Amino acid sequence: MSIVLPLDEEQRDALQELLNISMGQAANSLAQLIETKIDISIPKISAVTPTQLYSLLFETEDSFYTRQSFLGDVHGEVMSVLSRAGLTEVATLMDYDDPLSKEDIQEIILELCNILAGACLAGLSDQLELTTNLNMPTLFQPDKSNFDDLKWQHSLVMEVQFVIAISSFSMRVVFCLDDESLARMKATLDELLA
Amino acid sequence: MFEQLVGKLPVGIGIVDESFNVVYLNDFFLDRLPHELRKNYKETPVTDLFHGQGKFLKRRLKSVFVLQHPSFSYWEQRPHIFPFKSSRPITGEETQMYQNMEILPVKDKATGQRYACIFLQDVTAQASYFRAQQKLSEALKKEHEAQRKLIRKLDTAQSQLIQAEKMASTGQLAAGIAHEINNPIGFVNANLNTLGQYASHLISICDGVYSHIENFNDELNEQIEALYQSNHYELLKEDITELIEESTDGLTRVKDIVENLKNFSLENSEGVQTVDICTVCNQLITLISAQYSTPQYKFDCELEKVEVMGNPGPLKQALMNVMINAAQAIDTKGVIKLSVQESGDRVIIKILDSGCGIPAQHLKRVFEPFFTTKPEGQGQGLGLSVAYTAIEQHQGKISISSKEAKGTVVEISIPKQPSHSKVNSSESVTEPSDIVQEEV
Repeated sequence: MSIVLPLDEEQRDALQELLNISMGQAANSLAQLIETKIDISIPKISAVTPTQLYSLLFETEDSFYTRQSFLGDVHGEVMSVLSRAGLTEVATLMDYDDPLSKEDIQEIILELCNILAGACLAGLSDQLELTTNLNMPTLFQPDKSNFDDLKWQHSLVMEVQFVIAISSFSMRVVFCLDDESLARMKATLDELLA
Repeated sequence: MFEQLVGKLPVGIGIVDESFNVVYLNDFFLDRLPHELRKNYKETPVTDLFHGQGKFLKRRLKSVFVLQHPSFSYWEQRPHIFPFKSSRPITGEETQMYQNMEILPVKDKATGQRYACIFLQDVTAQASYFRAQQKLSEALKKEHEAQRKLIRKLDTAQSQLIQAEKMASTGQLAAGIAHEINNPIGFVNANLNTLGQYASHLISICDGVYSHIENFNDELNEQIEALYQSNHYELLKEDITELIEESTDGLTRVKDIVENLKNFSLENSEGVQTVDICTVCNQLITLISAQYSTPQYKFDCELEKVEVMGNPGPLKQALMNVMINAAQAIDTKGVIKLSVQESGDRVIIKILDSGCGIPAQHLKRVFEPFFTTKPEGQGQGLGLSVAYTAIEQHQGKISISSKEAKGTVVEISIPKQPSHSKVNSSESVTEPSDIVQEEV
């Protein structure tokens, strides 16, 4: 990506480390709840344009998408991409009965996002000593043309992937922050680094 | 004061401890509990108080206690978590309350005890509005689809009309030309007959002169002989009759074609009448063989006359369209066979050609309007669809089978006497009910 990150190298490293810890906590929480092993990828931090965000998230085939906004000291949105494959196994782990109705599937998707995004966000804001409140997640059917019309130029995204070991299920969680929140987070990171 | 406020909030608020026992319920929940339970609901498992989605509720509570993170549930996926009646028991259409639920982890600051707080929102009004909207949009979608179908049908009907009109005007033109040609053919024919007679007279004169040749003197004799020689009399005498006979034959053929063209196109007698299929077929063969001379034409019918009641215009046009297709399918050499059979109260017409055939993937589409494999501008793809409509109007059936590079058979079956009730009743049925509706 050609755009210069709004974070310097030190800030970036610190954020990556913090993310790593909170993602680990999130994975642990979910693992505890559904009693299975969960692997996480190394978090990626980058700056994107709306079009890049669209291709980063929504050009994945065979997936479900959700979004969830958060308010508090920092404002932003969490978007998740969940694979269709392996969802049935996860449903069984979550104590749902076969066969799954359309509503069951929607509920599972929303719950999974809520748990993972919620845990990540809670971990991150805990370590940065910021308060955040996550709103209800909703299913999302993105439209490319809408993304091209978005007002913002660049956004900081933090991306992490969860893979459930025993099934083919995987899920990507992407955090996006607005400009004001980014400034606040940078300040907090600087305080931590000082 | 706070307790009062929480109690009166228009959302359900309930607090349970880590073993899912109820610690607190606000009025929203209490109002919906059976009377005998209202006083001593505390310390009872929440799933015992409210029988409903117990398993689901437990699962969500567990997740909140384990993850220390809020959990959400929506009416769209799970409409009735708590078995509550609608808030409009008398006038409402919904019988059960639609609910959105949120469970939050809370902690008693003094004791450190963990609790879960259940928020329950009554979204019945929202849900029923949403569902009504959905129903409406579905109904609209259906209506839209029906309209689109109708428009497509109208389009088809219109293009068939245009085609029919074109055929009709072509027919009129042909009839006009046929009439114009008929006059010159008349006098050419008469003149040719006279010419034949004159020629035979001339030949007798010449022959007579030649038979008396020895009665002339030598000088005259020589002159006459030279005259005969220089004009090739022997050849002339032999050829002239043949030439005139051939011309008469040719003229007869022209007369036939013109006559058929007139019969075929000058069909202004709209309406049902007796049609002799055999005559029609013979006319068709004459007409089409004049334009497409490559194929060999055969007509096969054991009966002298096969009569049906029908509309001659569309019937002829249907047969003609099928025949033209057959003729066009034959490139260099081939046979077209037309056969007519009676089978009970139906007549079966088969048109068989040994042409190029139709590929299987096109076969089921040949009756569709505008379906054509010809290059643009050379075919409209209407011939067979017009034939189909015409045969259907006669309560008949048309079917096609084909093998590539072998040929095609089109089978048409029409009743000799169509049941009249169908033809004329289309308008009269709907009217009475309309009148009744007007009066109401």
